[in-house]
Amino acid sequence: MIQFKQNPDKAQDIEKIMNPLVKKWFFSRFKEFSLPQLYGIMEVHSRSNVLISAPTGATKTLTAFLSVINELVDSAEKGILEDRIYCIYISPLKALNYDIEVNLAGPLKEIEEIAGKGLGIRIGVRTGDTTASEKSKMLKKPPHILITTPESAAILLSTIKFKELLNNVSWCIIDEIHALADSKRGVHLSLSLERLQRHSDHICRIGLSATISPLEEIAKFLVGFEGENPRPCKIVNVQFIKKTDLKVLSPVPDLINTTHEEMQRSMYELIDKLIQDHKTTLIFTNTRAATERVVDHLKNKFPKNYTENIGAHHGSLSKTHRHTIEKSLREGKLKAVVSSTSLELGIDIGYIDLVILLGSPKSVARALQRCGRSGHKLHDISKGRIIVLDRDDLVECSVLLKSAVEEKIDRIHLPKNSLDVLSQQIYGIAISEKINIKDLFSLVKNSYSFSKLEYPDFREIIDFLAGKYISLEDRHVYAKIWHDEETGMIGRRGKLARVTYMTNIGTIPDETFVTVKCGEQTIGKIDEAFLERLKKNDVFVLGGSTYQFLYAKGMSAYVSSSVTRPPTIPSWVSESLPLSFDLAIEIGKLRQYLDDKFRQKLSEKEIISFINSYLYVDENGAQAIYNYFREQYLYAEIPTSKKLIIEEYIEENNKYYVFHSLYGRRVNDVLSRAVAFAVSRINKRDVEIGITDNGFFISCEKGLNIIKPFRILKSDKLDLVLNAAIEKTEVLKRRFRHCATRALMILRNYRGMKKRVGRQQVSSMILMNAVKRISPNFSILKEAKREVLEDLMDIESARKILKEIEDGKIQVKQITTRIPSPFALNLVMQGHLDMLKMEDKLEFLRRMHQMTLAKIGKEHKIK
Amino acid sequence: MKTQYFEKTDLGLLIKEKAENILVMADFHIGYEEALNKQGIFVPRMQFKDIIARLNRIFNHLEKKRIKLSKIIVNGDIKHEFGKISDQEWRETLKTLDLMASNCKEVVLIRGNHDKIIGPIAQKRSVSVAQHFIVGKTLIIHGNEIPEQQTLKKCSTIIIAHEHPAVSLRDSSRVEKYKCFLEGKYKAKNLIVIPSFCLLTEGTDILTEKLLSPFLSGSIRDFKVYVLPENPGASETEISSPYYFGKVSGLLCR
Repeated sequence: MIQFKQNPDKAQDIEKIMNPLVKKWFFSRFKEFSLPQLYGIMEVHSRSNVLISAPTGATKTLTAFLSVINELVDSAEKGILEDRIYCIYISPLKALNYDIEVNLAGPLKEIEEIAGKGLGIRIGVRTGDTTASEKSKMLKKPPHILITTPESAAILLSTIKFKELLNNVSWCIIDEIHALADSKRGVHLSLSLERLQRHSDHICRIGLSATISPLEEIAKFLVGFEGENPRPCKIVNVQFIKKTDLKVLSPVPDLINTTHEEMQRSMYELIDKLIQDHKTTLIFTNTRAATERVVDHLKNKFPKNYTENIGAHHGSLSKTHRHTIEKSLREGKLKAVVSSTSLELGIDIGYIDLVILLGSPKSVARALQRCGRSGHKLHDISKGRIIVLDRDDLVECSVLLKSAVEEKIDRIHLPKNSLDVLSQQIYGIAISEKINIKDLFSLVKNSYSFSKLEYPDFREIIDFLAGKYISLEDRHVYAKIWHDEETGMIGRRGKLARVTYMTNIGTIPDETFVTVKCGEQTIGKIDEAFLERLKKNDVFVLGGSTYQFLYAKGMSAYVSSSVTRPPTIPSWVSESLPLSFDLAIEIGKLRQYLDDKFRQKLSEKEIISFINSYLYVDENGAQAIYNYFREQYLYAEIPTSKKLIIEEYIEENNKYYVFHSLYGRRVNDVLSRAVAFAVSRINKRDVEIGITDNGFFISCEKGLNIIKPFRILKSDKLDLVLNAAIEKTEVLKRRFRHCATRALMILRNYRGMKKRVGRQQVSSMILMNAVKRISPNFSILKEAKREVLEDLMDIESARKILKEIEDGKIQVKQITTRIPSPFALNLVMQGHLDMLKMEDKLEFLRRMHQMTLAKIGKEHKIK
Repeated sequence: MKTQYFEKTDLGLLIKEKAENILVMADFHIGYEEALNKQGIFVPRMQFKDIIARLNRIFNHLEKKRIKLSKIIVNGDIKHEFGKISDQEWRETLKTLDLMASNCKEVVLIRGNHDKIIGPIAQKRSVSVAQHFIVGKTLIIHGNEIPEQQTLKKCSTIIIAHEHPAVSLRDSSRVEKYKCFLEGKYKAKNLIVIPSFCLLTEGTDILTEKLLSPFLSGSIRDFKVYVLPENPGASETEISSPYYFGKVSGLLCR
């Protein structure tokens, strides 16, 4: 049973179970138990699964480890400490692992000092960086506490010698579980935990999480299932014990009638002022590129304030650079540091007293996580300032702030039934032992991520791994596992199996960036998907300058810098953070309230006073929101959570349909593609779509009608439509490569050779065409589609919206404007282009040919 | 009456010279999938069957038109792998050559850059191997190197392969790639670039990618583009003519 723990344990009860040495040490360092400790220590002590959700700095890690240390010290004193692994600690970050090692070694040393003798408790770190000699040392003398990553854990489970050390482990601690649960890395981990459970069936699982929702699901993810029911788990929810001071700031009073230069100047002045008023400031941007830009601008604009005392920290920077920054932070040498996502997790960064978020963090949980990086100690106040740059941002962040203050956390999505990850893990299991297919299926089903897996899907993966999709004579090349149909036994196949597994494990796809070069000089990087859209002589923006595209070779794109024309291809971020669905709905509610107020003809003063009472904004902010909504109300109409407005206008020769569907980009991705697909189906024309968090637009030739196809779209047919709609998209091609790599159909490392991403992508296209011919439902292709529709997009919520439209709960209203309405403007400007390939390739060719003929004349009839 | 003319026949180029009918095809890259398998990319093998089907379609088409082939010239790279010839490659190459041989009087293999040691295969089926082939005033050569001046001097038309020419057509943001023939000039001589018979990929996009052949090192803006429809399903029996798309320059500025 999953249940919230309602009351903390009594301090004296906890003290009773503590070894005198540990107790003495604890109270020499701390005055009393913290709240998470009062809730958690007894649970860990009595081997009950527990999920502890608390903000950064709330002593979560010590809560988890105190009982473990207590028991180890106790056993050591009694001389019954065995040479085995008692506890495995898994965190998503290598950097965090080393922090933890240091943070455990210190207390153990201090306890030994109190004891006046060595206790012989060993801590070991095992990551991809661990040397061979360290590994063999670990085999001889296993650490009592093993610190590792999800990937290294999976490798250990498949390592014959090490596997034996994993029998009878008492505890498994999963740190930063919120950072794993929403990705395939988490899916992978959930299967590793089941594999671990097979060796140590009484293991106690402890999950540590920052603010996240829904906690019940995260708890189930942590503990898995035993047959039909989730294993028992207690949830300790102390998410809101830290005091927070959050504000939304606008650099200028008027966000619309300010020039770009003025806006930039004011923004940097504001940032500078905030930094100067505080000791150490952490600034979060939403992209890596912006991180560098902010550092540069601050240095240039305020050379006296910023020299060596500011730095950038993001995933593209070298490890050494990042370590230097982290060290300087801990030593208090930095005034400010700018990061994208890399400092979100709990790496020790010393004292931070202010967090600035540039632009919306797009989810309440992320906002709290980021702001929680300030005031690292439990009783400090987390201070966060969100700086907004346009009116949509202002509205969004104001609502976000309201949700944060009112403790409404947006729910994350946990991927289910990822067949590619399943393939990789079954391969890993087959390497390490012979197992019956029935036992394997129940092992897999015990994982939260596969608890709903159907047997046929599982069987398909077994057949895939056993190479049954290939005729018998060639099967030896493709089969990865051995499967005896008669006995149902599954096992290892091939001499290379183990090394192949070790060198290709993991779920994080290789990044696909293309280097942009001007002659021999490197300009920067663009997303591979962006390159696919460029044709010769297209002009695009990179790092603030414009370039003309010449040609691509391998993973390099060659450009010329002498260009005066404006960009022909909009700069386009392929996979930036999407707005959470729950937050989107909250913004829709605000729109609803404000629409009502305007319709009731309330005065400006009354409406502003409502905004002030409903949201947590300053005078400027309230006025700006009022103005924005007023313009929309007077010029067109305010779309709300209950009223979907479709705005139609004509520009040059194209008709634009703007759908004011404020449901976040993951939902709009689904809705827009569905509509575009229906249009193409009926009219045999491709249409252009642009998608943002606040809605989407479809642009097409003047004669086309979009409303009708939208009307015939039905929620129960959505899966069918979308499966067809994404069939030929670039995004499916890329996701197929990722899935094929995870399922080990494409090996990144093979026979000592490492493949470049470009090579992988070309080969994966050939692979995709081939498996499609074997079956349009080939398991790995099916998984790529599932990933696109469920993980990247949000087909489930989209279906819900369509259903509400069908049931009349959401009204659809069509309006016509001459130029885009205020709400539509940003949407049209920001929407990224994607293309729906509906026409058959041959038809497309014929139509293009007609166009060409019209231009060049019918000079040639082919001979 | 013209003594010699060319007819684009699916992925091949038919040369009619006096009483002779010569079919030029190139860049089959047999064994490509096996090479990918060896690199750890487990692509199921389908190309060989597809090549045989596509060749049969071409031969059926010629038969219907009562065209008897005197020669088939494989203008380089019948197989993919550099160096060692694998069992599968050996078998499939022989079968392909057998099919060709049963549809003409003589098969000639032009050496390509992937064909360094094609000798044994050629011997096995008594086909001849050459650096290039000249028929009338036409030079047929793979195209990875420029031949000696003496060879060039003798001819007015050059047929090369090697480049795997393909073209990407776009309409707003949609892009599709098709195999194509290119026709232009190389130093006042006519130059025809034939598409690859490798059915796994379309080839090099002549509009965006850097070209490989030294024959194409100058500007190709004035080259004419003949686009081939995508490989239709096996059920298709008819072969279709290529679509003329004007000059490269026209496609570039669209």
